[in-house]
Parts: sequence; structure tokens; C-alpha cells
Amino acid sequence: MAPTESPPLPPIAGEEGLGGVGGLTTPVRLYLAVAQRSFRRHLAYRAATLAGLFTNAVFGVLIASVFTALYRSRATEGGGERIAGFDVAEMLVFVWVGQSLIMVLHLWGWWDVAQAVRSGDIVSDLMKPFDFYAYWLSRDLGRAACHVLVRFVPTMALGMLLTDLALPRSPLRWVAFAVSVLLGLLVAFAFRFMVNVSAFWLLDVRGVGYLAYSAVNFLSGFLIPLTFFPPWLRGIAEALPFRAMVMLPAEILLAKRPVAAALGVQLLWAVALTLLARAVLNRAIRKLTVQGG
Amino acid sequence: MTRETALWRRLIGARARGQVAYPVSFLLQLFSTSLLFFVELAVVALMFRQVDRLGGWRLAEVAFLYGLSAVAIGVALCLGSGLVAFPDQIRQGGFDQVLTRPASAFVQVLAADLRLDRLGRVLNGLIVFGYALVVLDVEWTAGRLLYLPVVVVSAAVVFGALFVLEATLCFWTTQGLEVVNAFTFGGATLSQYPLHLFDGWLRRLFLFAIPVGLVIYAPSLYLLDKHDPLGLPGWLRFTAPLVSALFAAVAGSLWRVGVRHYRSTGS
Repeated sequence: MAPTESPPLPPIAGEEGLGGVGGLTTPVRLYLAVAQRSFRRHLAYRAATLAGLFTNAVFGVLIASVFTALYRSRATEGGGERIAGFDVAEMLVFVWVGQSLIMVLHLWGWWDVAQAVRSGDIVSDLMKPFDFYAYWLSRDLGRAACHVLVRFVPTMALGMLLTDLALPRSPLRWVAFAVSVLLGLLVAFAFRFMVNVSAFWLLDVRGVGYLAYSAVNFLSGFLIPLTFFPPWLRGIAEALPFRAMVMLPAEILLAKRPVAAALGVQLLWAVALTLLARAVLNRAIRKLTVQGG
Repeated sequence: MTRETALWRRLIGARARGQVAYPVSFLLQLFSTSLLFFVELAVVALMFRQVDRLGGWRLAEVAFLYGLSAVAIGVALCLGSGLVAFPDQIRQGGFDQVLTRPASAFVQVLAADLRLDRLGRVLNGLIVFGYALVVLDVEWTAGRLLYLPVVVVSAAVVFGALFVLEATLCFWTTQGLEVVNAFTFGGATLSQYPLHLFDGWLRRLFLFAIPVGLVIYAPSLYLLDKHDPLGLPGWLRFTAPLVSALFAAVAGSLWRVGVRHYRSTGS
């Protein structure tokens, strides 16, 4: 369903020189600067943003139509108004939250670290005086902040324009949702980072990529809410971290769950996966053999 | 024409052998792309746990559309690999070399890449298609039996022509445009469901501008003997070959305009 083959972003000159200011910058300021640059860099891709919004709009309307038809068919068969715990209005929110979060979480097609491994740039990156994981996380946070602005907000607006999307009005719920998305991003980033780092062991990460993103699509709730699953499958999905990416934020926005408990689950996964990703990175560095040199 | 065909077969043959040279990696890739496919199919099955019919269609009937659409776009993606990779060729100046050689530019572009792993989609589509045909009790009249392969080829041609249009656009933009994904993969996704589930501009777009609906949904109404809630004229069910030929002709002439318009990127 998703275009998985997007071209890599070209590098911007000057990004290499960060943090070389004679040790004057504190780590936090360094990572802030990295995030800021990443934010501005992604802001520059105007044509790609418009194209992406168009694609989101088409797929959003498409998926919303299928779910709307599902509710209509259910009504003709004499079924209830709720399917898998959602009424049709809530399902539309679910669909458009999913479409809007694609680029914020960067659910698919992120290969920056794998490319650095392949090209050998990783060696000079590892020698620089910053924490490798924190550096990439800062870049990703900057990118995500940009995508909240240019992808999340407009896609939601398109949803309201093109379908009967009605968003919750309670500001508190939006605050909880924002925190939830941030935690979801930490989980998504740690997962993506690990998939990328597998390039240390495998020369072609494409196969792993497909497996990883099938899991994300299906188990995060992006394609369909996990409440549609039969009990055994739902049990599996709820024991895995993927639901922290789309399902839990959407459920928080729709007030389907106690907020504190849901955020707690996300926080646990964020911490666990971050530690795991860093451990995998350390293993990889010890194993590092530079391709072609 | 025969010379071009022979050239294409030699170039493609060489690429195919190159890929099968690493069978393990090839099979792994087939497996992982298949997983993505069946995950999406599972979503349809999950919806049918809630209803017996979706817009009046049973699961097996939707599976028929799903299989048909997957086989068609799979064939187009595999044989059109060179077209899909065309943005890179243009950007890197590779098209300059193509023009200097005494052979059809189109054949050379087409043969510039071959991704055999995309046959996985065809294989998956055939599995789902087979399931649908076994489960459904279609009355296989001579007409249906003869029309079925025509429909498969027509749908593949329409998707192929879409990739030609996508590549043609690069003559002007000199880069790949993500917008086209909305038409190609959007069209592929939409054609997996009965067209009457969609309304307004989306339906008209994929019926008349990009005739995916005319080569998959409309013929399926005849093949599966379904009632048409849209009330399209009955003869539209039989226009698949004509529509695909026309669409391919339009794409072909635009391609030729594009080649004439081509200015090297100079890199």
C-alpha cells in the first residue's frame, strides 16, 4: 500500500562542521544545533512536501472510504454502530491520525545510518566528539518537528476538508496526544536505528527492511486498529512495542484508555528499546569492519 | 521491430541471470516482499470478520480483485523496472549514452534494470487469485474464459503505461516525483476494492483519467456476474483491451515528445 522506495535526501554542505567550535559548545547546545539544522533542512524540501501531502490525501480518502463502507455494510446487515470498539467518526480520526503520523514517526524508508555504514562515513562519524546515538536522535527529532508542521497539521486539515473528520476539542487530550506521539517517536526511532545498524552484519538491508516495515504496518495499528485482531493475535500485538507508535497515541486522542497507564507503557518501551538499540550499536562497533577499506 | 525485441530479450536475459546468481538472497527478498503483501491482505480478512459482505461483495470476490490487481501491477513493475529506475538514469546523465547508441531509446531504458524480486508480487497475486477462483462458483462460460486473460493483460498494460508516463515526466522534471506514487500505487490499492466503495473525485479519477477502474472493476462485474450499483453502461465491461491500447498509445506518444524535448543535465 505504501510507496517504499523513496530516494535518499541529498546532504547539505556544512553539516559536518558541527561542534568543532573548540569545545565551547556544551553537549546539549550541540544536539540542539543539530536538531535545528535538521529542522531547517527538511523545511527546504517544498516540492517533496507538497507531493507527500497529495499522496497522504489520496490514501487517506481511499482508506477512509473503505472503512466508511465497512460501517455502512455492517448497518445493512443489522449490526451495531460500533466495530471493534470504534464508531465511524472515531474510525475516521484513527485513519487520518495514521496518515498524518507517517512522516512524523517516519514509519518507512529511513536508511540514513545504513547508508553511512555502507559508504564508510560511519568511521569518521564515530570518531567525532559526540554520542553517535544522541546525534542521530537529535537529527530525527528536528526532522520530526518539521514534519509535525508541514505534514501532520496539513494532512489533518485535508482530512477535515475531504471527509467528515471531526477532531476532539479538549486541549488536554491534545497535550496528552502530543506527549504520546513524542514517546512513540522515541520507540520508532530506536527500532529504525536497530534495523539500520543491522547493516553492520548484512550487506543488503533491504530484506530486513521489508520484514521490519511489515511488522510496523501491521502491529502498530497503522493499517487497522489492533482491536480488529482475533484475541490470540491481539495478545501478541499488545505484548510488542509497535503499538506505542500509532495505536496508543490514537487511543489516547480518542479517550479510549486511561492516559497515565498508556503513557507509562510507551515510556517503558521507549527506555527499553533505546537501551537495546545502544547495546546493539556497541556490539556493532566492536565488530566493525569497514567495507572496502 | 523484431530486431528491437531480440535486443530487449538479450539485455533482459543477462540481467535475469545476474540476479538468480545469488539464490539465497533472492529467495529471502521474495519472502520478505511477500510478507508485506499478505499483511495487507490480512487487513481485508480482518474487516470481513465484521461483515459478510463489503459493499455487497464477499471476501472471495474482493480477493479476486486483489489478485488481479497484484498480478497486473507485479508484471508491470518487473518488466518496467527500467522505467521505475529512469529518474536515476536521467539525473546521472545516463540517458545521453542511450541516445548515442543505434537502438531504440525505449528498449534500452526498459532493459536498463530488471528486478526479478518483483515477480513475488505476481506470485502472491496468483495465489490469492487461485483461492478466489476455487472458492467462488463462477459459471465459466466460453466468453468469461476467453475474456479473463485479456483482462489480466489489459490491466498490466495500463499499469505499464502509467510507469511510462511517470518516466516521461522526468524529461521535464529531471527527478522522480513522489506525486506519481499517488496515481500508480494509489491506483493499485484502490483497484483492490470494488470501485463503488469510493465516491466523487476519487472514483472519477481512477475511472476516466487513469482507467484502472475500467480494466479491473468493470470487467470483474462481468466475470463475477455482479450487480453494478454505479449504473455504468453495460458495454463498458468489455472495453478493457481497447482502453488499455488507447492509454498505452497516449503514453507512447508522450514518451516520444519527451525524448525530443530532452536536454541533458550536463552531469
